[in-house]
Amino acid sequence: MEAPYDDRLLHQRVVGGDEAALGEVYDRLSSLIFGLSLRVTRDRVIAEDITQEVFLVFWERPLAYDPDRGTLRAWLATIAHRRAVDHVRAEERRRVSALGPRLFEREPARLEDTVLAADEAERVRQAVTSLPDGLREAVELAYFGGRTYRQVGEELGVPEGTAKSRIRLALRRLADALAEEEV
Amino acid sequence: MDPVERLYLDAMMEDPAVPAHSLRPQLLAGARARRRPAAPTAVWAQPYAGRVAAMDALLASAVDDDWSRIIVEGWTLQELVAHLAAKDGLLAASVGAPVLGPPLGATDSMSRTRDVQAYERGRSPEQTRRDWRAQADALCRHLADLDPATPASLDGMDSVIGDHILARGLETWVHSSDAAATAQVRLPDPIAEHIRPTADLCARLLPWTMLFSGLDGAGRTLHLRLTGAGGGEWTLPLGVEETTPGTPDVHITADVVTFCFLLGGRGDPAAFPADVTGDADLARDILTTAPAFSGP
Repeated sequence: MEAPYDDRLLHQRVVGGDEAALGEVYDRLSSLIFGLSLRVTRDRVIAEDITQEVFLVFWERPLAYDPDRGTLRAWLATIAHRRAVDHVRAEERRRVSALGPRLFEREPARLEDTVLAADEAERVRQAVTSLPDGLREAVELAYFGGRTYRQVGEELGVPEGTAKSRIRLALRRLADALAEEEV
Repeated sequence: MDPVERLYLDAMMEDPAVPAHSLRPQLLAGARARRRPAAPTAVWAQPYAGRVAAMDALLASAVDDDWSRIIVEGWTLQELVAHLAAKDGLLAASVGAPVLGPPLGATDSMSRTRDVQAYERGRSPEQTRRDWRAQADALCRHLADLDPATPASLDGMDSVIGDHILARGLETWVHSSDAAATAQVRLPDPIAEHIRPTADLCARLLPWTMLFSGLDGAGRTLHLRLTGAGGGEWTLPLGVEETTPGTPDVHITADVVTFCFLLGGRGDPAAFPADVTGDADLARDILTTAPAFSGP
């Protein structure tokens, strides 16, 4: 998926050293990135640090982002997620080592662009199958079938707005389901 | 991105949240400390300041191997950066801005390039990068209060500072593109507001590049249409003394970035991708002589 025009323009401006463009990127995406970081770490202070760091990385190394390979939102989310997970794992290791020898360790090696390990991706797929049919179909069409909200609505015989709210409800349920499993 | 991962990240972002206090002010302060923004300068010098910031972003990710790799003209990246600093310094000298680096001796760009390269060879690539950036930013700051019609000269070319700084911006752009290609990094184009005046300079140079190559376009008129962000249309008399265009003898349509790079000495003029109607011989003369001012 290629990045939309806005992403390209903001990227061009940030590469050209335009600070105001960084402010605009922050205004547009910070609540999503902070929300994601907070969900993973469950710590507001850590989530703030991660959020700030993610936008700083974009400013400092803007050429690491390639608009031909995806949206800015997804790229920033990937970095935030990786940092949040690293934090949670470091905390786990700290707790475990305080209790005694480690019984098991998760695979530390992560491919550069991989968000989820194979077992984690499988959990997401499982969580999708557990959704109520109406929500599951909408999500499958949108994410695995590459349909737009409008096309999802047409295929399910519902208005576009309904398709959109089903997908959002499904995303929320997925996030909750995945969070419960982690506990 | 894998659809499952995209789905997962979207799910994780379904609960947007706002930090207790906005992180914006500290973010911008932190950003300034981590990477210097484009130097504040006059609007007409911003295309140059923007390319300097972009080149610097590229240099920030260069590692040891990158610095010693040959980019163009048999120069390593470090020598190329020294070359840019040398020419920026000469332009700075011509308008009374600070000249950094070794004391100013020879004032032609090849000799000055050799002097600055010799000086920088004794320094680390990181120092060379800082020296070049300091020279560029000092020039930008000086231009902030200057009239763009102020006379300026570089390599015996007498013009105004407004045009000279656009030419420096083009050269910085072309060389950052050279370096990005070697490093296999994709460098986005400047914004349209920066491309437009650069393309305008390139269009206005055409009568001069022809003349410099021994062809006089007097009495002939070109209609040039440059497509893409920052493009536009120009109807240009091809005699250097002429100010009023006649009826166009030839129409050339081309991509604006490819056209700027042609003037910057990149791309084969004989194979230049353009749509031509009208006098084909004249079009060929215009295009083959277009790179005449591009030096190292």
